[in-house]
Amino acid sequence: MKKPIDSEDFAAQAKGAFDDSVERLDAAALSRLNQGRHAALAKLASGNSKARWMRWVPAGGVAAIALLTVLVMRAPEIENMPVEVASDFEILLDGESLEMFENLEFYSWMDDVDLDAGGNVG
Amino acid sequence: MDLIEANTGYFAVSCKREPSTEAGTLQRERQLNQFLAEVERRALRIAEIAVRDRDEALDLVQNAMIKLVSNYASRPQDEWTPLFYRILQNGIRDWHRRQKVKNRVMVWFGRGKSDGDEYDVVAAAPDLAGRSPEQELQTGQAMQKLEVAVHALPGRQREAFMLRTFEGLDVAGTAVAMGCSEGSVKTHYSRAVHSLREKLGEHWQ
Repeated sequence: MKKPIDSEDFAAQAKGAFDDSVERLDAAALSRLNQGRHAALAKLASGNSKARWMRWVPAGGVAAIALLTVLVMRAPEIENMPVEVASDFEILLDGESLEMFENLEFYSWMDDVDLDAGGNVG
Repeated sequence: MDLIEANTGYFAVSCKREPSTEAGTLQRERQLNQFLAEVERRALRIAEIAVRDRDEALDLVQNAMIKLVSNYASRPQDEWTPLFYRILQNGIRDWHRRQKVKNRVMVWFGRGKSDGDEYDVVAAAPDLAGRSPEQELQTGQAMQKLEVAVHALPGRQREAFMLRTFEGLDVAGTAVAMGCSEGSVKTHYSRAVHSLREKLGEHWQ
């Protein structure tokens, strides 16, 4: 019968299992990491990524104010919205989230498939 | 060289910057390349365990690399590891927040499950890592069990456990990476280990 492991042994075993899984990363993942690293290092050479990002601040601010104004005007209809609404809209205003609205039909389909197949998609 | 210490009460990070010359920039680029090459694989696995999605994890790691290079390349090299993981952990937290917001929006549109705001869309999602059954076997049963158990931990406990155990950061480095006190790191880590041992059993592996 195996002896129960203590916390230090447990951490060492967990670290061993983790390191093992790191070693087994496939070539596709390693290639994408390599590309990501070089893309990041290219920023050091250009050195203007911050300046480029700053150009979008005024546009983002205007969009946020416009959306907030619409929400305030519709306040009675949305009084039951969650209290996290301000931070939610901040998140929803980023590009990735806007993509979600474009793909709303796809998410609806996924939701239907998920309900029909008990969560096994693909 | 000027050295200014910004003590926030939780941890101290130096504002020391290296001199910037052309030769210095090239050397820095080499050092950054080496640092990122050393850290990227473990970072990917840590992010993957946190979000349970290989592609999302790759994006998170790449964003952390870009932010580190763009904003902190001139910081002393020994600060890069905790800074990199701080950026990565912030990215992971933002990712989880986005998932919750997306779920709330789906509920709003009448498409989501209305189990309340605490519904965990990440935990309920199928494994999208795209691993084949062969790869699943290779990953090893023990690691799979550990991954699931670590993913299920509360966020701060998961961060403390992965940074201390998987990345091997000390308590001070973990505190910088998590943006909290060393005492909090010890508490989160201890609770994480206790919870994992309870979940996985005394004879795990």
